[in-house]
Amino acid sequence: MCWPYSEVEQVTLFSLVRKNIIGNFKNYLLYFVSMILSVVIFYTFSSLQYSPEIQISIKSSAGVLSIFTQASVLLILFVAIFIWYSNSFFTRKRKGEIGLYSLLGVRKRTIGRMLFYENMIMGAIATAIGIVLGTLLSKLFTMIFLRLLESSFQVSFSIPWKAILTTFIVFTVITLLTSVQAYRLIYRFKLVELFVADKEGDSLPRTSFPSAVVGIAILAFAYWLTFQPITTNAEFGTYFSLIAAGLISGTYLLFRFVVLSLLKLFKRNRSFYYTGLNLIGLSQLMYRITGNVRLFTIIALLSAFTICAVSVGYSSHYNIGQMSSTASPFSYYHLSQGDAFDKEAEQIIAADGEHPLKAQLDMPVIETIADASALPFTPSNYAPEEVPVKLIAASTFNQAQEALDRSARAELKEQEAAVVRPMYTELSASDVEGLGIGVKLPEGSVDLVITGVFEERVSGWSFPDVVVVVSDALFANAQAQIEPQLYKAYNVSGQESTGDTVAKLSALEGMDSANLISYYTEYRRRLEEGGMNIFVLGFLGLVFLAATGSMIYFKQLTEARADKQRYAILRKIGVSRKDIRTTVAKQTLFVFALPLVVGLLHSAVILRALAGINLINGDLTVPISTSMIFYAVVYLIYYGLCVQTYNQIVTRA
Amino acid sequence: MKTIVHAKQVKKVYGAKGNVYTALHEMDLTISEGEFVGIMGPSGSGKTTLLNLLATIDQPTSGEIAIDGTSILNLNEEQLSAFRRDKLGFIFQDYNLLDTLTVKENILLPLALARMNPAELERRVDEIADKFGIRPILDKYPHHISGGQKQRTAASRAIVSRPSLILADEPTGALDSNSATDLLESMKDLNEQNKATILMVTHDAFAASYCQRVLFIKDGRMFTEIGRGDASRGQFYKKVLDVLAVFGGGASDVV
Repeated sequence: MCWPYSEVEQVTLFSLVRKNIIGNFKNYLLYFVSMILSVVIFYTFSSLQYSPEIQISIKSSAGVLSIFTQASVLLILFVAIFIWYSNSFFTRKRKGEIGLYSLLGVRKRTIGRMLFYENMIMGAIATAIGIVLGTLLSKLFTMIFLRLLESSFQVSFSIPWKAILTTFIVFTVITLLTSVQAYRLIYRFKLVELFVADKEGDSLPRTSFPSAVVGIAILAFAYWLTFQPITTNAEFGTYFSLIAAGLISGTYLLFRFVVLSLLKLFKRNRSFYYTGLNLIGLSQLMYRITGNVRLFTIIALLSAFTICAVSVGYSSHYNIGQMSSTASPFSYYHLSQGDAFDKEAEQIIAADGEHPLKAQLDMPVIETIADASALPFTPSNYAPEEVPVKLIAASTFNQAQEALDRSARAELKEQEAAVVRPMYTELSASDVEGLGIGVKLPEGSVDLVITGVFEERVSGWSFPDVVVVVSDALFANAQAQIEPQLYKAYNVSGQESTGDTVAKLSALEGMDSANLISYYTEYRRRLEEGGMNIFVLGFLGLVFLAATGSMIYFKQLTEARADKQRYAILRKIGVSRKDIRTTVAKQTLFVFALPLVVGLLHSAVILRALAGINLINGDLTVPISTSMIFYAVVYLIYYGLCVQTYNQIVTRA
Repeated sequence: MKTIVHAKQVKKVYGAKGNVYTALHEMDLTISEGEFVGIMGPSGSGKTTLLNLLATIDQPTSGEIAIDGTSILNLNEEQLSAFRRDKLGFIFQDYNLLDTLTVKENILLPLALARMNPAELERRVDEIADKFGIRPILDKYPHHISGGQKQRTAASRAIVSRPSLILADEPTGALDSNSATDLLESMKDLNEQNKATILMVTHDAFAASYCQRVLFIKDGRMFTEIGRGDASRGQFYKKVLDVLAVFGGGASDVV
């Protein structure tokens, strides 16, 4: 019977595992913390995904589910890679210890099982801690999210079993995989290899001038592509995959060859290279560049992605108010349907004491057809010769402008017209001034000359969106031929919260959604889309930020350990602690700043391309610069932490 | 003759109260300019402690140490670093070369730290590389050269800034006998031709026989001292072995 024997072995093994973890806790801490971090991030996300508040709060949940699903796939991938990375960092650090066990005569199988159990135990504890922390955090995040949606829902503190289950399954799989990897460690290396510390590459990496040129050319091409106009969907697909491919390969070549060549150029400058610690700093950077290229590339690209994601999310949220006013300049704008109906609507609006009426206006609009073939734009699916247009009299237009507190006024002679800038275009006066438009009326066509463009609209938006302001005389003439549509426009204060009144108005018989355009509806719709965007994109951004920062941090700490001996030598031959701190700060700055700067540049270019195809619009300066500054500041904090830890490691006596 | 090392009543105690260990008992040591002095002693005798104190890597518990006229006990960290850079050269048993630098860069490192101009710096490196016969390997990395070559590189680095005092800690410890002889010959030339002052810690009688004077330390105290005088290296080697034999036997009988 081998039972008693194996029982004895089990106990020893288990206690060995436990002693290992407790005894080396400091070494384990880094790995442990990164596992907990991953669990917290994933769990927080999936508990949000399954929380009833969020399921309810998003009324238009058609695309939302797919956003969440895609994001969670991305997250699983990321978390898996991150843990894998930390795990290999961790095991590399412990090779010597494992070698010692083997040397002392512990069987390979036993060592393997020990590492396996150890990793499983740590995984289990990390998952448990992560879920507890995540529960607290997800409550916080839900509140922030609902606040962004300006929803008045109460947040319940329920335990989302589905989220726990998902997290549990995902991390069990990841932990199992890393544990198997840990088990195989002892079989993967020869005993002697376990005792050899990681060696640096033993000669300088080669530079290749042609590759450096190709790298720059590819990046330049990708950047150039973003400036090209895109009109069709097919072009969009081709351009963006080309840009993505160009950025990825170009960035890699940039770090692999261009940066190295630049460093070598510095090295050739003897009076720089042979001064103080420049010798040390430059040679270390060059020595490590090959090992760092992949990391730099990943970080630069992820940074670009993150900044773009956050900027897009933020800009859509930032511009909600402005975009809503463009679509619905007035608080309420409805088609008149007889006096009785209009009175009733007016009473509903007047009855809303919380939102006092600021202005009220009747707007007659004539809908007809015009020959706009001379104009540089045509609503899609319409022939340029037969474009539906809406005519507004100059006086009506001016009244509306006044009601909306705007300064621009229309002053038109009989044969003159002004165009209101159609939504999603950048039309300006110089594009159309002096061009002709032929307004078709039952009694014949009237040719008008366009004298200007109004950037802000006064009527509620509906497609096709060609609004022409004409002189009062011409409008009177046209009115005699076509019965105008009468629109009732109301402007109230505090229009963001007029939900109740809008609901009452919509409930009126004959008031369908096509006839009522309200600021609140536009605002609400954009808020939900924007809030969703800013949350999902912002959250993903935070995850990537945390992960990329940690990746550089880990990498730098590994290098600090490898450098310890080097700096000890330098100390002995007369380099002061202060000088070492300075060179460490400089080298680390290079490692942090290089991918960050490239990432920022890439993101600026990608965002430009996105703005070019109107995927994001409105005022972009504030959202983009805020996102970039925020990202850079967080990176700076990581940098400070990293320099401090690095110095602690290398200058400790 | 100018005094380079002047140590008076130097004492070093390790550990906190309750568990104190005295590594050096009030020791005196004087080395003049141009001397090649060896220090021998069994493991734990305090010879490395003494070397570390002179190297300013460690501070004595009491006593005074002056090197080239400067008292090193009153210097702060920054000043000590500058002092090591300008006045001292080190040769270690495990070479202590930087593997990210070529042989040439390793040698010129002290000069670069002293911010010497590049032309003068390269001239010096060439001069020393010729002396130690390592010119052909100047552009190689430490991983690619032999132990002897590494130690000669380390020795080149130690003397390139023309320090007042060269400290060598078991420089031949990791070398085969041919490389060891080469290195010792180079050090002897350096001492005789350039008037370099060298203090070498060793447990190898052969290495010690290259010195002009050998100090024997035991249990943290000066045990005895022998000078070479006009004797040949071979004769001096025998004298060193004789003292070591007494060392190995009952040392207390002799004292």
